[in-house]
Amino acid sequence: MLWVDQHRPKTLDKMIVHQDVAQNLKKLVTEQDCPHLLFYGPSGSGKKTLIMALLRQMFGPGADKVKAENKTWKVDAGSRTIDIDLTTLSSTHHVELNPSDAGFQDRYIVQEIIKEMAKNRPIDTKGKKGFKVLVLNEVDKLSREAQHSLRRTMEKYSSSCRLILCCNSSSKVTEAIRSRCLNVRINSPSVEEIVKVLETIAKKEGLQLPPGFAARIAEKSNRSLRRAILSLETCRVQQYPFTPNQAISPMDWEEYIFEITSDIMKEQSPKRLFQVRGKIYELLINCIPPEIILKRLLYELLRKLDAELKHEVCHWAAYYEHRMRLGQKAIFHIEAFIAKFMSIYKTFLISTFG
Amino acid sequence: MGKRNTIVVSSSSGEDKEDSTWSSRGNRSANSNLKSSKRSTNSKGAKKKARLVGLKSRTDSSVSDQLTLFCEDFDERFNGIKVPAGSLKNAHKQLWVDKYKPRSLDDLAVHKKKVEEVKMWFHERLRPCKDDCLNQVLIVTGQAGTGKSATIQTIASHLGAKVCEWNTPTPTLWQEHMHMSSSGLRYTSKLDEFENFVDRMRKYGSNSFIEGQSNSLSILMIDDLPPANGKLASGRLLNSLRLLVQSASIPTVIVVTDYGRADLPESSGRWLEELQSSLESAGACKVTFNPATTNSIKRVLSRICSQENCRATNEQIELIAKLSGGDIRHAISSLQYFSLKLDTVCYPSLISNNPSTYEKLISDEGNNRCLMPMGRDETLSLFHALGKFLHNKREAGAAFVSDQDAFVLNEKFARLPLKMDAPEKILFQAPEQARPITDFLHENVLDFLNDEAIDDSWTVAAYLSEADTLLASPNGFIFRNHEAENLSQSVAASVATRGVLFGNSCPVSSRWHSIRRPKLWQVDKSSSWNKHDLLKQRLDLREACSLPNSTVIATEYMPTLKRLNYAEATAPWTTMQDKQSGEDECDAMSIHGDERVESEDEIEDW
Repeated sequence: MLWVDQHRPKTLDKMIVHQDVAQNLKKLVTEQDCPHLLFYGPSGSGKKTLIMALLRQMFGPGADKVKAENKTWKVDAGSRTIDIDLTTLSSTHHVELNPSDAGFQDRYIVQEIIKEMAKNRPIDTKGKKGFKVLVLNEVDKLSREAQHSLRRTMEKYSSSCRLILCCNSSSKVTEAIRSRCLNVRINSPSVEEIVKVLETIAKKEGLQLPPGFAARIAEKSNRSLRRAILSLETCRVQQYPFTPNQAISPMDWEEYIFEITSDIMKEQSPKRLFQVRGKIYELLINCIPPEIILKRLLYELLRKLDAELKHEVCHWAAYYEHRMRLGQKAIFHIEAFIAKFMSIYKTFLISTFG
Repeated sequence: MGKRNTIVVSSSSGEDKEDSTWSSRGNRSANSNLKSSKRSTNSKGAKKKARLVGLKSRTDSSVSDQLTLFCEDFDERFNGIKVPAGSLKNAHKQLWVDKYKPRSLDDLAVHKKKVEEVKMWFHERLRPCKDDCLNQVLIVTGQAGTGKSATIQTIASHLGAKVCEWNTPTPTLWQEHMHMSSSGLRYTSKLDEFENFVDRMRKYGSNSFIEGQSNSLSILMIDDLPPANGKLASGRLLNSLRLLVQSASIPTVIVVTDYGRADLPESSGRWLEELQSSLESAGACKVTFNPATTNSIKRVLSRICSQENCRATNEQIELIAKLSGGDIRHAISSLQYFSLKLDTVCYPSLISNNPSTYEKLISDEGNNRCLMPMGRDETLSLFHALGKFLHNKREAGAAFVSDQDAFVLNEKFARLPLKMDAPEKILFQAPEQARPITDFLHENVLDFLNDEAIDDSWTVAAYLSEADTLLASPNGFIFRNHEAENLSQSVAASVATRGVLFGNSCPVSSRWHSIRRPKLWQVDKSSSWNKHDLLKQRLDLREACSLPNSTVIATEYMPTLKRLNYAEATAPWTTMQDKQSGEDECDAMSIHGDERVESEDEIEDW
């Protein structure tokens, strides 16, 4: 088991970061009925951990006993029935799923699952009908229709189920949903907090952390706690005992993008563009999201670039990122960006060095 | 029920051919059905058939539909005008296609070698002392109107053999069905009929259909296969055909019309190919008829002309022959129609006895293809269209001459005029959708750019990016309005192609390029596969307590796991993707299965 999973705090009391949020949540669910919740914040800030701990707080250890199942949902959509495959994770008290995995059929899945949950409600000890919790991940990736239908279902079934929504950016969640939920913003942990967590883990694992090393990992992690813990574990495997200036290697796809950028800087020609396309395909095959590829590509290019070009390059990156969201096939837009960059860079080289 | 098979015994000596029935081909075959009732043993079945035929005026194939249209047109013309005295007077009762059916081997507009090949095949099978090891089935394929059936008929009559035809039954119309069910006749699927027929053929041999004279030579001809839609039906058809191939006792010819690739959805075209190869593997012999050459069509046409005293000039005949696209039936019909036109349209000028104006009129008409009503629509295959766009041929040297009034184009944007039709017109001719066109262009365009031209490649990439944006339905909405969708599709295709044409400002001189299948399709597929895999692995791997997000798995967990040498539990990405790509190659995910197609020469031809 990875350390990230192993050392994940199980209860709200054990949280190291976001202690204040955890305490507030605890008060919320113990004192009164829980409203719908919307957690949002950057990746690796601890949203999921909070949600898991919250569920445990609400339902006791029973919430930990989960099973994953891949179920085919038969959805009656007007004239025909649609089969949708979706993996869900469920305990007796809650169901968790990524509705956006269903692609453009996401609007049916949300409705269908909530309906089914409402049908078989658990009965609590006092003989009162309780409620189930539905955890929806990546709500920001839901289509507009799905969000719209989610809002209706929320109202209709609010007595029998509570929703916990989780997403990176609340701006892509419709106003209607946001206003029906208690919004909880989870910030990225500060570098100090990350260091604290890393030290705790090191202590549990019985490792010697040289001074400054945890701080370096934290800096590199881009304030993502998950990233930091994963790096720590990687470093542990690569070299132990740690040395203060031990190399912290980036992820392999990041190295690959670094390679691509140096390819781009070395030669600017249609042929090279074609080679680069092949490499980008490789990344896409391995499920690296195109937005992340473009972002990382820009980051690497900017590091090597002359200051006067940076503005223009950023402009085009933003332009094609927008295009990518409007369009269908990401490669068209990534490639257009790379071609534009090559064109700009070549003109710059010719004008500077003749 | 079993006796309802449409087996037709028609003597091929040609004595029936003079029947002056004013009918299209479909009706003609129906008529021969009627005729068969007099001769065949199963007169009961044939009577039923006769009633059936009486109801069916609808013809079965698109070719004969076309002909029916022609006939109507003829009728109109004939009724509308007084036929000028002369040649057409007696002949107009019959279509030339039927009237000038080939009688002898020399009449055939098929290549001599092909005819010889088929003839040899028959010779071997019809010899008195038969080798038992010879397979009795011949598959004849070729485009419509290349003379497949005619060749068989002619050769059979040459060898003095009888031809029994199994005609594809005409589809039952709903009204007919209603009518028949009221008279107690149950509907049987055409496929059932065919299976039944094959079954009987195997069990009882040809004698169950052909009366007496078992000593005479006979040939069974299956003229086109019954329609089979869907996997199940085509599987059944294939099975019964294979059985036929394995067990035929008399020489059997299966005529399969090869529809042009462009006409059909890809799957059915491929299915026909599969069928043929499977029959071949079962032991059948296969002969492919190529489209008739312009010269042989010309020969036939001029022979008809001389017999009909038709005044078509050589050029006109040549034009008709060319426009027919190797379809001899089409060519003859065109000629008949054309000779009509001559008489109606140019009658006045003939009276005035002014040959020069007449000539002029004719040649004008001949030169202007739009005036020719009988040309076939040209279709371009996807690769021809792509080749045109990618090679980007432009008029050499001829500088862009602008009018004084027109605003002067910045030199940067000026391009030499295209050496082709407007891209939209080409797109219209090519049967493909905007998406594959765009994908193909994207995959291949970089090969056609100058090595230095990075600016151009940006221009092209930018336009392709626009096209992709247009192709995506806005906000993930599925278009409710098909017109809007069509419009945005065609606009996208137009942007993509014009972008490619414009962007490639100095095309490389043409050289050989293979056109690749878009790798993008494979990438999309493997990526979604891998995504699924990742999620599953992740769930399997740990005591799952939270549903992970695929982005996070791909970007963070997987690389870390690999570093941690959990390699056994989680396949490293290279092997995973190899496995994937291996699978994909077998998958029929492309619209054109072959990855490298169409050589430069072929593209050049167009």
